[in-house]
Amino acid sequence: MASIKSLAASSARSKESEGASTARPGRSRGGRRRALFTALAVAWTAVGVFPVLWMAVMTVKPEALMFARPPVWAFTPTAEHVRHVLAEGFVWNLGRSLVVAGLSTALVVVVGTPAAYAFARFPIRRRDDLLLFVLATRLAPPVALVIPFYLIYARVGLLDTYTGLVLAYLTFNLSFYVWVLWSFCRDLPVELEEAARADGYSPGRVLIRVVLPLLRPGIIATSVLCFIFAWNEFLYAFMLGGKAVETLPVAVPKLITSQGVKWGELSVVGIAALAPIAAVVFVLQRHIVRGLTMGAVKG
Amino acid sequence: MTPAGARPGGGEAARVGWFPYALIAPAMLTLIAVGLVPFLYTVYLSFHEMRHAQIGDWAGLSNYRALLLNPRFWHSAGVSALFIATAVPLAFGLGLAGALILNRGICLRSVIIPVRFVPTMMAPAVVAILWKIMLAGSWGLISYNVIERFGILTGTSVLASPALALYALVLVDVWQWTPFMMLALFAGLQSLPETPYRAAAVDGATALQAFRRLTVPLMMPLMVVIGLLRLIDASKVFDTIFLLTGGGPGTATESVSLFVYKRVFDFWDLGPAAATAVVIWVMFFAFANGFYQVARRKLGAF
Amino acid sequence: MSARRTRQIVRKTWPVPLAALLLAIVPGLSPAQTWSYKDAAKPYTGRSITILDEVTPLQESMKALVPEFEKETGIKVDYQLLNHFEVISKGQADMLSGRGAYDAVMLHSPQMGLLLEAGVIRPIDEFLGNKALSNPALDRADFIEPAADSLTKFGGKTYGFLNWNYNVVYWARGDLLSHPTERAAFKKHFNYDLAPAKTLQQMRDIAQFFTRKKGEKLAGETLESDFYGIVLEGIKGGTTLWTVLDAFVKNFGGDLFDADGRPTVNRPENVAGVKFWAELWKYSPPGQAEYSLIDVPTVMGNGIAAQTLAWSDFVLGIDQPGKSKLAGKFLYAGSPANAQGKKRSAETEPSGIVISKHSKQPEATYLFIQWMVDKTTQQQLFAKSGGAGVPIRTSTWALPSLKQSRFTGLYAAMQESLKYGIAKPKAPKLYEIMDVLVGLVQEVGLGKKTADAALKEGQEKVTAICAKCTL
Repeated sequence: MASIKSLAASSARSKESEGASTARPGRSRGGRRRALFTALAVAWTAVGVFPVLWMAVMTVKPEALMFARPPVWAFTPTAEHVRHVLAEGFVWNLGRSLVVAGLSTALVVVVGTPAAYAFARFPIRRRDDLLLFVLATRLAPPVALVIPFYLIYARVGLLDTYTGLVLAYLTFNLSFYVWVLWSFCRDLPVELEEAARADGYSPGRVLIRVVLPLLRPGIIATSVLCFIFAWNEFLYAFMLGGKAVETLPVAVPKLITSQGVKWGELSVVGIAALAPIAAVVFVLQRHIVRGLTMGAVKG
Repeated sequence: MTPAGARPGGGEAARVGWFPYALIAPAMLTLIAVGLVPFLYTVYLSFHEMRHAQIGDWAGLSNYRALLLNPRFWHSAGVSALFIATAVPLAFGLGLAGALILNRGICLRSVIIPVRFVPTMMAPAVVAILWKIMLAGSWGLISYNVIERFGILTGTSVLASPALALYALVLVDVWQWTPFMMLALFAGLQSLPETPYRAAAVDGATALQAFRRLTVPLMMPLMVVIGLLRLIDASKVFDTIFLLTGGGPGTATESVSLFVYKRVFDFWDLGPAAATAVVIWVMFFAFANGFYQVARRKLGAF
Repeated sequence: MSARRTRQIVRKTWPVPLAALLLAIVPGLSPAQTWSYKDAAKPYTGRSITILDEVTPLQESMKALVPEFEKETGIKVDYQLLNHFEVISKGQADMLSGRGAYDAVMLHSPQMGLLLEAGVIRPIDEFLGNKALSNPALDRADFIEPAADSLTKFGGKTYGFLNWNYNVVYWARGDLLSHPTERAAFKKHFNYDLAPAKTLQQMRDIAQFFTRKKGEKLAGETLESDFYGIVLEGIKGGTTLWTVLDAFVKNFGGDLFDADGRPTVNRPENVAGVKFWAELWKYSPPGQAEYSLIDVPTVMGNGIAAQTLAWSDFVLGIDQPGKSKLAGKFLYAGSPANAQGKKRSAETEPSGIVISKHSKQPEATYLFIQWMVDKTTQQQLFAKSGGAGVPIRTSTWALPSLKQSRFTGLYAAMQESLKYGIAKPKAPKLYEIMDVLVGLVQEVGLGKKTADAALKEGQEKVTAICAKCTL
């Protein structure tokens, strides 16, 4: 026990001592370079995010001015779009999306983490073939698979159920998760685990006590991505869901009506759908940023 | 330093026995149930004549023959290939550049990361509508204020031009997925060990040399995995293409996913659609396999 | 019995035999005359049915009326509204797979061919003839024709009721057409008065006249950007092909199939029609090849073009204060005819509500869909929606809610277009045929192919799909 702790501590210490915010090749030559890169990053971010900002403005813009040529920058905002979205009950869709995406991601993490670790660490027979099989479940276009799925689900009564949709999402999320986490697992330092085994830890305990904490950032990063995929998924949610399980992406086409597209309401829903994920990423980013090191890389 | 990912010695194998298999069992079983079963059913459907979603007579290979002889299928495969070959490397390159910049230590990083990540967080359908608002002929924001103002394109619009429509879609895809690459590669860069770089600095290596000799090989597994996954996903892009061009003008942007969509949801021709799914799967399987072997041997990634 | 007693009895009870006599000889006076949903639904009280319909303002008002039906009949109705794409995908998936979660589904006319061939629609003749279920006041002659019959009648049977009557109208900038300077210039150039186009040729002239570049004058003001005389749908898909076919080609005497259902894609009349349509691209915004039926109203609403042929329900969304700066400046007319043509055709899309073959409650479902299209329900519907919607009954045009709405011009236009619109041909492979042809037609519009070459290719491709295409 003591030996693992000391090993872990020394590893952390060495990384701590390597110092702060700048990481790798070419130490920062002081504030100017940093400022330059920051400016670059900000500019690049602004350009990339501009369309979204425009959409955010559209959430309160009166419809008559939306596509005015030339564009109108000054106008009296209207709460009409937000009001309409709330009245249509999109909040319920948001809730349902949270449930489906949350359950699906949780399942993926629980099932996929041990598998990724096992593939990285142990001499599993036919490992390459199994890994390719895992990937294979993702290779066919969902557009083609959705009707066979529908037919199977209709027969077993899984249509319009949370179970059904969560299971369907496993097809692409689980393979993604296993593959990405596998590459993170490979980068883990073996010494810690070997020390633990030397101390008499069972393989299971090694996994839970030693590996999982080290893997946490990788798990968080990958599971956030899986959550995003499940959150935004449309096709399966549409065909395999129904009235009871109407997620947010499926509710969006309701705004493309026979009277025209409700651009303002669409913008509201589009931006609102971002909020939960943006919050999650903002809060969890320090785990992702740290990567796999135990040390502190100040962000 | 022992290469990361080294597996314990042979003696370990005897000690751990069934344990690793127990670890992978839940994942394997789940994938067999939800991944394999529908796929096998699709294969089954592809060998039958499907009339109105009812399974008809055994059709042998006729669905496959019709598909492989259909020039429109090969055209859509070509469109998809061109799309993937342009969008993924571009997103990868930009994402890597972005990751390197982030890694340099910039201020406001904790704000920049989530904001920059917004495009990837958006639902593909919303992204499509957003870019329609930007690029629609005559009434789109960029169309009017940039393209028309500077007279860049006369006589047509971006999405109506057979030559440009696909590249517009590539732009949208790159816009949406570069942050994904950036974040994944950034996490990878953050996890790189310090020691080799210190040693290199001591040896007087330049930043470029350190990048080529250290960063790239160390990052290779992650880069390969991310690249491969994105390559596969790029072939499935549907919402953006459907909402922005509908596969047109003509068939200029009719990718494989649109080709299949038409057969499933417009024509209800489930036999050929199932055959297409299987053929695509086989093509990607061969590709993934080849990619994996190359990455393993040439790039030392696995 | 004594004679006196007999007389007493007869005096008290004489109405009874008299009534019986009358009832026997005058059948029309029987009490069954007062038919009601309540009575008709008695055997089905407590049952549940699920209906799938499309989300339109009218249908949303319908949703608010459904509880009244439930109260009166005791039948529970789950009335679900989905958007256009979803109604088609899910409705078809449900009916074709045999799942039967929906008892009644809304269908668009291009879907009829496939679903009739699959045999998943239940004819309603048995219910129409069933005195217990059939409402004597239904007045089927009141349904707008030729839409209703062309949609629901096939092979001697009736398959559902007309439920929604999409139609394309001519839509133009009234302010421009009535501007004195423009009128003078137009008369000078074309030798007739500027007015909403009644013919395709006039529409072309107006389009030519109003296509101006940035810097030129329009209605006394200098243009800050290019202006176009006409905008039409040009995307590959959507309803582009239908507009070409029904608003243009048919007016030249052409059609897709002959009387036997065999493809006649490249007959000379078709070529003439497509050519005419393609020429209009000269006067359209450059991005027309990407315009769907959603872009077209947006372009009009933003003042980029002078005329269009567009789906009338979009008008209801654009020509409202707050929705467009030009609200109130538009005028409407029926889809134009061909000055040199004999036949007249307009693009319409009659849609109907049908009973699924897999429904377990066909009678209860029939009662509901009958109630939906009943005169009283339709009246209430239009009153509730403030006159906004597309009628399925001729009597609706006379309702006060329509007569007093601000859209009287639009309704007159709708009425006109609806006179000449029929349902799509009942061809099971219609979507495939449409897909092939719309790409070719788009290429003609873009100037990449001549109409001759495109339609010749179209004929080959369609013949490869089906030698005899309609049922």
